[in-house]
Amino acid sequence: MGVVGCPRCTKVWPLGTTRCTRCGAQIVSRDRKALQRVWAWWIVGLMAYIPANLYPMLQTRTLVSVQQDTIIGGVITLVNHGSFGIALVIFLASVMIPVGKFLAIAFLALAAQRGTTSPSRHRMGLYEIVEYIGRWSMIDVFVVAILSSLVQLNTLAAVNPGPAALFFGLSVIFTMLSAQSFDTRLIWDAERS
Amino acid sequence: MSETPPPVPIEPARRSWVERVSVVWVVPIIALLIALGVAYSSYADRGPLIEITFETAAGVKANQTELHYRDVVVGLVEEVRFTDDLGAVVAVVRVDKDVAPFIDSSARFWVVRPEVTTQGVSGLDTVLNGVYIEGSWDNVPDEERRSFVGLTDAPLIRPGRPGLELGLRAVGDTVLNGDTPIFFRGVEVGRMGTARISRDGGFTIAEAIIYEPYDRLISDATRFWDSSGFTFSLGPAGAELDFTSLASLVGGGVTFDTFISGGAPAQDGDVFDVFAERTTARASVFNVSDVEPLNINVIFEENVAGLAVGAPVELNGLRIGEVSNVNGLVDRARFGDARVRLIVTLSIQPARLGLQGEATAQNALDFLTGRVVSGLRARLASAGLLSGGLKVEFVMLEDAEFVMLDRSAEPFPVMPVTDSEISDVTVSAEGALERISALPVEELLNSAIDFLNAGTALVADQALQDTPEEIQALIGDMRGLVGSEAAQNVPVLMEAALQRIEAVARQLEEDRAVARVLAAVDAATEAASGVPDLVAELNRVAATAAELPLETLVTELTDLVDAAEDVIDTEDARALPGDLSAALAELQATLTELREGGAVANVNAAMSSARQAADQVALSAQDLPRLLQRMNTVLSQASTTLQSYDESSQLNRSAREALRDLSKAADAVSSLARAIERNPNSLLLGR
Repeated sequence: MGVVGCPRCTKVWPLGTTRCTRCGAQIVSRDRKALQRVWAWWIVGLMAYIPANLYPMLQTRTLVSVQQDTIIGGVITLVNHGSFGIALVIFLASVMIPVGKFLAIAFLALAAQRGTTSPSRHRMGLYEIVEYIGRWSMIDVFVVAILSSLVQLNTLAAVNPGPAALFFGLSVIFTMLSAQSFDTRLIWDAERS
Repeated sequence: MSETPPPVPIEPARRSWVERVSVVWVVPIIALLIALGVAYSSYADRGPLIEITFETAAGVKANQTELHYRDVVVGLVEEVRFTDDLGAVVAVVRVDKDVAPFIDSSARFWVVRPEVTTQGVSGLDTVLNGVYIEGSWDNVPDEERRSFVGLTDAPLIRPGRPGLELGLRAVGDTVLNGDTPIFFRGVEVGRMGTARISRDGGFTIAEAIIYEPYDRLISDATRFWDSSGFTFSLGPAGAELDFTSLASLVGGGVTFDTFISGGAPAQDGDVFDVFAERTTARASVFNVSDVEPLNINVIFEENVAGLAVGAPVELNGLRIGEVSNVNGLVDRARFGDARVRLIVTLSIQPARLGLQGEATAQNALDFLTGRVVSGLRARLASAGLLSGGLKVEFVMLEDAEFVMLDRSAEPFPVMPVTDSEISDVTVSAEGALERISALPVEELLNSAIDFLNAGTALVADQALQDTPEEIQALIGDMRGLVGSEAAQNVPVLMEAALQRIEAVARQLEEDRAVARVLAAVDAATEAASGVPDLVAELNRVAATAAELPLETLVTELTDLVDAAEDVIDTEDARALPGDLSAALAELQATLTELREGGAVANVNAAMSSARQAADQVALSAQDLPRLLQRMNTVLSQASTTLQSYDESSQLNRSAREALRDLSKAADAVSSLARAIERNPNSLLLGR
């Protein structure tokens, strides 16, 4: 067709136009490096996700003890205490969603490169879910941040964020960058050919 | 109009790899590098693992229990497991790399737990934070070790708190409370570790440390004693309760003092005895004996109560040792019967014997062996008058039979004994006291009180009080009378008269001789016819004298107690002896005449003269009543005069004295008269 749409303001330009004169965004018909960026951010996000699970997320110091909990450890502690609801929320937000995101992005990227049998419409939906839900992964970081700022009773009890909080936050950021780097047009390219 | 778009410029497919590869790849690469760098550095910084074996590891948890050095975390327990035989717990500790070189053979580890003792509460922080392992090592890196055996308790001596390391030994009844502070004048200057029983069970010993700079307080003259508990003494100063401090009262403690100066400084590893109390510790300084005491056994036939361990052993009253053991002994094979004997072990200080040369046990034994041959024996003796305790005495026997000191006896040489000298003072004293208590003390006292009361009343009597003075005055007057010239002259005159009579008799014999004996006898016969008359006359005189109202006179005189002192000065009174002497002088004159006159012819004259003399005596005696009558008159006058003198006692007395003198004079006269009456011849013959 010889036209190209602006990825930001969706105005159609003649093929070869490098810059959208309406919004100033760069116009590339098919970004060959998009998948590389997806994988790069994906890898960094995964690297950050490992220490986020190994290191303690919360450091709870009370009068008699100091307790350091990793994400999974915290969930297990909550389950042991009978707080199934909270345990479920934290498990979903901190384990299921990030892991799901990694899997989803990897699936979309692989499908774009190698081709797949799954309908393009489903994959587009998947991508949108990933994009939408990605920000909610930060719920665990929010919990830590709120607890840390609220529970500071000097010697009696104190909650401090562990090193995992930082890594978890980075991991979420990198996976979001990874998801945004994905060019959704690649989903449909496969259908046309 | 449709216009065909211009042909799409096909750019060459080949482009450089820089254009084909996204810049974003830098991010994972950097992340990877950082991860690798962190991993490497953490690996490189990681210290070595050491294994510490504990008997129990209560409270030690993997990844939580820390290793502390001087209260700073230097490691973390990574693993807690058992030894292969489950005999002990092994704590695997990751120690910091920079302290690892110091963890050498000097390192010790123990678990710090909360502890509540009488000394206080320690390790309180571990209550909240859990136990931790404390490590201690010196400041010099040495060959590293990786395997250690942990201590049960915190070690007494640890680097960082230098001090003098001593051993404290307690013998006998002294109790060593383990893990107690050592005080010096109330200041804690050291600590004593846990006490152990010695291998043979004879004493307890504990290691102790005196911290710098107090270690210079310790010399070999220092004595330690147990300051725990309290002493209670009841003495002349009242009851006394003494304890060092409440803490040491409850938890125990050891204190020390150096009673004499000049000791050599103590070295690490020196062992000191801990005494039960200060007095014994102090006493031990002065009977210090570095040499081994000489042990000697003594077997006493009798089995006497009262000999206790610690009783003195004395030689010539000097304490040379003490009884270290007392036991019964039955040895049928040795003594031939099954009687129980008393076997006593004496511990003798060789230094106390004053031996020439070195004071060793051997020398002391040689000395005693020699003395036993000369008669030295051991015997039981009373230690005190009242206590009933016994001591062992070495005494020399003069006529002892020859006995050798049995040096071959086991376990100690046996010293021969002699009979005991036990004065059962307590029994005697008891008997004496019983007798004393049986005395009728109360009756005696009552009688004494009555007697004394009567005496007091008597003494208080005015008359009795005057008596001594009166007696004195009387004696004085007697002396005056006897000393008066006239009285003294009486015997002289008498003697002179008799001498003359004697001379007359001699002349009679010489002058007339035998030729005139017959005539003399005739004359004598004639003269003798007059003698009865003379005797009758003398009798009459005597009767007259006897009839004299002398007694009445004396009674009268006695009645005149209030007479004045002038009475004695009356001319007549003074003249009385004079009259008597005058009478005697006349008698003398008569006798002179007799001597001068012719023999028998003159005898009659002499006799008549004698009669005259007697008459004159009688006369002068007859003058007495008159004289006394006059005196009476004077005295009655005087008494009336003296009524106004208010019965001055002095006057009274003087008057009484004067009258007594008078009465004496009268007595003399009457006795003279009686004498003459009894034997008139004595006047003539001087016999």
